[in-house]
Amino acid sequence: MLSDKAKSALAGAAAGVVNGFFGAGGGMVLVPLLIGWVKMDQRKAFASSVFIILPLCAVSAAVYLLRTEFDFLRALPYLIGGLAGGFIGGRIFGKVPTKLLHRIFGILLIIGGVRAIAS
Amino acid sequence: MKDWIIALLAGGVTGVLSAWGVGGGSLLILFMTGVQGMDQPLSQGINLLYFLPTSLTALVSHLKNRLIDIKLALCAVAAGAVTTALSSLLATGLDTQVVRKIFGAFVVIIGITELFRKCPETRRPDEGTQDTPRE
Repeated sequence: MLSDKAKSALAGAAAGVVNGFFGAGGGMVLVPLLIGWVKMDQRKAFASSVFIILPLCAVSAAVYLLRTEFDFLRALPYLIGGLAGGFIGGRIFGKVPTKLLHRIFGILLIIGGVRAIAS
Repeated sequence: MKDWIIALLAGGVTGVLSAWGVGGGSLLILFMTGVQGMDQPLSQGINLLYFLPTSLTALVSHLKNRLIDIKLALCAVAAGAVTTALSSLLATGLDTQVVRKIFGAFVVIIGITELFRKCPETRRPDEGTQDTPRE
């Protein structure tokens, strides 16, 4: 049997692989592992995943910035919009039913993903 | 200018989704590559960069509410930092079209799980008042 620390380290390693390779999605891997495998309380799992993913994103972002031609001017509107959206979303969190959103989100991902595969 | 406004709106909408625990990042990457024709590594880099300030604000409130299991989280960070560095090196070294196709397969899988997932589990505990714990 693995200790909780070892399990958490392995979950973090898995999230790191996804986060670095896809530049997204680390949390989608990490949260279910923390809840289902490490048996972390659900609220703690969500919060801890933010704490874990943040430094992983910093490491990956540094690699991407160093190794690709990064266009800050093209990035800027997304960064500004994202910050504003995150702030607004945080304020009105819990007041909007998210179930339908998850379904729409799923459909959009499938369409976009299939297009990316076919590209 | 029009492109700039569209980008601003796309970032805004996916930012709202991210705050609600609906993974906006992967959607934003699909938008940047599929609609705006940006290349895969640039889109991924933007998404990574964007996550830093956004999550920092969320983290402050989580820390205040003592919602983080620091010991276990640090184990995950130590291991994850190594694997994420390696996989970033791999992704930025591969042909961008290959990375895009693999990313496509990844989001299709995520999309299917989103269609079938039970939704109460996906709520992100934020300031904590509206959210009812399950147990």
